[in-house]
Amino acid sequence: MPDRILIVEDDERIRSSMRLSFEGEGYEVAEAASGEAALDRFAVGGIDLVLVDLMLPGIDGFECCRAIRRGSAVPIIMVTARSDTHDVVAGLEAGADDYVTKPFVPKELAARMRALLRRSRSDEDAAMVTIGDMQLLPDEGVLRHPDGSEVHCTRTEFRLLCEMAATPNKVVTREHLLERIWGYGYFGDGRLVDVHVRRLRTKIEPDPALPRHLVTVRGIGFKLVP
Amino acid sequence: MTIGPERPGRLGLRARLIAAFALGALSLSVLMGGLAYFTARHTLIVEQQGAALRQAYANAALLRNALGASVPSIDAQVTSLDTSRSTASLLNNDGRWFSTSLSISRSNIPSSLRREVRQGHVATVTAPTSSSPHLMVGVPLPAVRSSYYLVVDLSDLDHTLRVLLAALAAAAAISTVLGALVGLLASRRTMRPLTEVSVAAAAIAVGDLTTRLPVDRRDPDLGALSTSFNTMVDKLEDRIERDARFTSDVSHELRSPLTTLAASLEVLESTRSELPERAEQAVDLMAGDLRRFQRMVADLLEISRLDAGSSDLLLDEVVAGELVRQCVSAASQSLPATEQPPMHISARADAAVLLVDKRRVERIIANLLENASLYAGGATDVTVAITADDHGLEIAVNDAGPGIEADDRHRIFERFYRGVTSGRRGTTDGSGLGLALVAEHVRRLGGDVRIEAGREGVGSSFIVTLPLSQESSA
Repeated sequence: MPDRILIVEDDERIRSSMRLSFEGEGYEVAEAASGEAALDRFAVGGIDLVLVDLMLPGIDGFECCRAIRRGSAVPIIMVTARSDTHDVVAGLEAGADDYVTKPFVPKELAARMRALLRRSRSDEDAAMVTIGDMQLLPDEGVLRHPDGSEVHCTRTEFRLLCEMAATPNKVVTREHLLERIWGYGYFGDGRLVDVHVRRLRTKIEPDPALPRHLVTVRGIGFKLVP
Repeated sequence: MTIGPERPGRLGLRARLIAAFALGALSLSVLMGGLAYFTARHTLIVEQQGAALRQAYANAALLRNALGASVPSIDAQVTSLDTSRSTASLLNNDGRWFSTSLSISRSNIPSSLRREVRQGHVATVTAPTSSSPHLMVGVPLPAVRSSYYLVVDLSDLDHTLRVLLAALAAAAAISTVLGALVGLLASRRTMRPLTEVSVAAAAIAVGDLTTRLPVDRRDPDLGALSTSFNTMVDKLEDRIERDARFTSDVSHELRSPLTTLAASLEVLESTRSELPERAEQAVDLMAGDLRRFQRMVADLLEISRLDAGSSDLLLDEVVAGELVRQCVSAASQSLPATEQPPMHISARADAAVLLVDKRRVERIIANLLENASLYAGGATDVTVAITADDHGLEIAVNDAGPGIEADDRHRIFERFYRGVTSGRRGTTDGSGLGLALVAEHVRRLGGDVRIEAGREGVGSSFIVTLPLSQESSA
């Protein structure tokens, strides 16, 4: 079954041209012209990836991301006007997994989408990892509290955790994570990793300000200490 | 309104103020001193004359009485006259002269005075003798066929007046110096606002448009100057912002149609093989120029962001060798040349550590390589050399093109500047902003870019210098 993309964009021409392009790539496409319409359409279900323009009338892209994130781990790519820290980090904090800046090259966007839609579990070592008192089950795609309840992670956060858990106590470089999870080369944006690690810390660290499991190794990358 | 050409030799405002104050003090003190001197001199002379007359009358009366009572010695009588050191008495009795002083004799008495006295008048005259001025009073004593002369030495008075003159001259000199000092202080106070204006204008000239002058409301003159200066800067800032915003707005507006075009064209390109040959060629032309258009808009946005200062530096510590290799490899993918340019990386440069925004370095190297391939007559002989020393890392992009005239070397970094040799446009023409962006990015990274003539006079070298990270140079 082909993946279904929800395009949230108020410019009708861009929407139509992207629909043509994505359908050519073999995706199914759903469209929404506003944040409200996007949330309505998302609630219907069956969406595998959301592409959202941050500049929308009414509910803007940031709010749209947050609303979707409240109940879903679906990959979200935001379309930003600028690559400035303010917009990018605010979008990532709101729950986006990656971003592209306008005017983007459709091939580039397709590469971003493929990376986020990749089924991560297929090639992973399936061993269970204990992080603190939590249990990471890569096979089932869940992270469990000691009481058995599930910790809500986005797909990207989960893959990030699995990637680091594969080599516990070893430093993983930002570049490596960017390549493995986002499909970027050497020039990937390190802020993607930083914001996602920060969000993961709020979920797995007893004190996110003093991380004990997800440790920063200055100038190089990160290390998972079980 | 223009500012006239500089006139050499003309004094500055400060010097003129000081000179004016000094001259004012000098003329005032000369005037006052002169007045004081002449008043004092007149008073002293009148007093001296009065005293001399009184003494002459008294002495003459004494002599007349003595001569009338047939005294034994006229000489003794004259000598006994109460004369002080500065006065001398002379008596002419029937043509015989008696004097109390050795230095004053009948020859010292001017004939005009003697004639007056002979005619029976009391007369005074001021006349010089051998050494100093003297006041002479002649009193006729007809009853005893005599005439009496009192000669007063005026050198004391003269000395007093000289001292007074010297004191007044000294006072004039001192007040001139004081006047100059007051002028200096006043000029400092006057110049301070002008100095502030000058400092502020210099700051604005180098691009700090937030500079404003403090407005002093108590001083209407300076307040008006500061207010109009600040208004001028406001207007200037407005204008610059408006220009920058216009570029940015235009580019932003262009992005939406560009996105639509790119996505639609990609659909066409994916079905390229099904198209008739002519349509295929048309699609290829469109694709080529669309990429160029996208590149232009991206460059315009990039440069307007740099101008607005809203572009963030994402600093990372990176190994120079790896960074440059990655940059060259990434840049080569978008260039027509099939092969990557050869690289020469020194051992020290390979291991050097930079604290940079690596995507900016990528833009710098990509633009330099693109420039080399566009304007240097084919990309065949482009080489990249990287060296490091204590000062930093040097990345040189060398081409084998026609080279750049020394005069053009700094202008080539201007926006949309195209050198004479770049008249012929290739099929993948640049945006005209590539080198301007290189210069901006290098500046933001704290580095420097320059152009040198290539080795053996062939082509040119674009050399970028970037500072090494503190840790690697330690």
